[in-house]
Amino acid sequence: MSTTSSTPAAERLTTLIVDDHSIFRSGLRAELSADIDVLGEAGTVEEAVEAIRELRPVTVLLDVHLPGGRGGGGAEVIARTTGVERSAPGAPPAPGASVAPGVTVAPGADPTTAGRPPVFLALSVSDAADDVVRVIRAGARGYLTKSTSGAEVSAALHRVVAGDAVFSPLLAGFVLDAFGAAGGEEAASDEELDRLTRRELEVMRLIAQGYAYKEVASELFISIKTVETHVSSVLRKLQLSSRHELTAWALSRRLL
Amino acid sequence: MIRPRQHAVAGVCAGLAEHTGLPLAAVRAGACVLTATGGAGALLYVWLWATTPLAGTDAPALRAPLTRAASPATDANAAGAEDEQARDQARDGSSSRSALGRAPVTEILLGLALLLAGGAMVASRMGAQIPLAFFVPAVFVLIGAGLAWRQLHELRIGRASGPSAQIARVAGALALVVLGILLFFVSDAEPNVWTVFVAAASVLLGVGVVLAPWAVRLVRDLAEERAARAREVERAEFAAHLHDSVLQTLALIQQKAEPGSEASRLARGQERELRSWLFAETTGNGADGPLDLASELRRAAMQCEQEHAVRIDVVTTGRAVPEAPEGLLAATREAMLNAARHAGGTISVFSEASDGMLEVTVSDRGPGFDLASIGPERLGVRESIIGRMRRLGGSARIQPGPGGTGTRVVLRLPRARDAGENERAPAPSAETTPAPPHQEHR
Repeated sequence: MSTTSSTPAAERLTTLIVDDHSIFRSGLRAELSADIDVLGEAGTVEEAVEAIRELRPVTVLLDVHLPGGRGGGGAEVIARTTGVERSAPGAPPAPGASVAPGVTVAPGADPTTAGRPPVFLALSVSDAADDVVRVIRAGARGYLTKSTSGAEVSAALHRVVAGDAVFSPLLAGFVLDAFGAAGGEEAASDEELDRLTRRELEVMRLIAQGYAYKEVASELFISIKTVETHVSSVLRKLQLSSRHELTAWALSRRLL
Repeated sequence: MIRPRQHAVAGVCAGLAEHTGLPLAAVRAGACVLTATGGAGALLYVWLWATTPLAGTDAPALRAPLTRAASPATDANAAGAEDEQARDQARDGSSSRSALGRAPVTEILLGLALLLAGGAMVASRMGAQIPLAFFVPAVFVLIGAGLAWRQLHELRIGRASGPSAQIARVAGALALVVLGILLFFVSDAEPNVWTVFVAAASVLLGVGVVLAPWAVRLVRDLAEERAARAREVERAEFAAHLHDSVLQTLALIQQKAEPGSEASRLARGQERELRSWLFAETTGNGADGPLDLASELRRAAMQCEQEHAVRIDVVTTGRAVPEAPEGLLAATREAMLNAARHAGGTISVFSEASDGMLEVTVSDRGPGFDLASIGPERLGVRESIIGRMRRLGGSARIQPGPGGTGTRVVLRLPRARDAGENERAPAPSAETTPAPPHQEHR
């Protein structure tokens, strides 16, 4: 996947690496591109919450499985840091914390970071769909597996800061299933939360096949910006949808 | 010494002949002679029968009925009633031999009892004065102890037909021991207080000796069980640790290594293996039977990755397909191989199964592919993919891949109506709980 947008040159992209494995932390730190400042590292839920409150990073690279806290791992970190960040001036009041705490910023919004909550990008060694849905619904803006290269992680960080979502092929595949794509369900309008539009389905199918946003754009003869809009819209639906499949699916795995 | 499975009576003579290298006929003749002169041959036969294992396992021996006649069976039957009884007991013992396994104590005790009885018989026939007052109780004690141990063993390994019946049998065997011990004293001259006291102490001691090994074994079993549970916990912790540390490291190696490089490939292969071991899923071993489409695709991807320096991402969505159509799989495999040979790098495999259609897409970022420019001799694509899909009633399209550079093979196969219903029947919850997608989920 390629970098499709980046923060203004004047503003440094800062990040916090949250992972309970120091080897992985230092490895990732060394691999990240030069324009990303790693403010710190954290290994447990408590450390992560504290570091986020103190360092106020723009982005957080968050491991899904973390020791400490109430056992909620990465999702717990997101849940426990929302209140604090939201109190910053200029931020909208927090809605019902359980549904979509964290960051549901409109795509393409001004990427100024002052007073904004950090953007979470989930990293996991696991490919299990449970993990994916848990962090996404907690508010992460994207999900990558840990074998993703440092350059790709850097690019993904830039993208989430710009307001886009980062979908791995796996996540796209999950979305297709969760929204009943195989049954041929399509949303009639963009407003519908429980179904995806035809375009969104097409975008998801291509992402599931490993297409980068740019490649999706050229395949569907639309602009990259439009692809990003579709992806963000899908992310929003994934986070907010009360679609019965999603709920039942999550319930069956005791995620909610 | 092992008794052969093909035998006349019980294979003792054959086993002995095999063991000693003597001719079988000579051994048999010897046994007959010994039996004729006082019954020692029959006793020895029975003892060996009880104590030597049968060739192979405890599977029922293949009997050769026709060879039975030419045997010392009649001699064995001619032995005394006491021997007959002991023989029956010995047969019981032999039936549970496999269970006793390492400790043939029961057989040895029964054998000793038989030897004592036989020896006494021979001696008495030769005219010697046999202290029957000593021999009869001793035989009783030995047989009782042997039986008690066997029953206790069966009780311990849970093979008993019914616990209460088993306990009754143990009690009976113990009673035999007690009777034997008491007989020592009853047959004595006039009993006095000391005799009674010693008799009581002997009975207690005897029963204690009989029960002690069982109790010791029980305690050891308990300890072993506890150790096994501890090992299980340890294994789980070990697995968790491996999952956390080694998988992370393997992920890191893949992250740092050049995509498609040998290091990355090795790390990925190891990660797969470790995952399949940790989660004990069927990702290659014992997977001869038909699996569902998703597992089959992942297995094919793994095989391809082992042979070529490529990385294959598999994403499967849609309805579960319990029995993957072999033709579709073969075409997919061919497409993967093609991509691995001609493109390399990362290959994406995506499958989507709806009620009426199976679709598998294999895309790569290689140099691309023009069907028209391929000679007819290249059967790979034309025959194995396009032709095969057409014969199945589906279709195969070859398009430019992501970004218009690579190749994208789209395989489509309509699903049979009845098959679709069969698949949905066992999983009525498919509507509400769609199968989660898996990407290399092991």
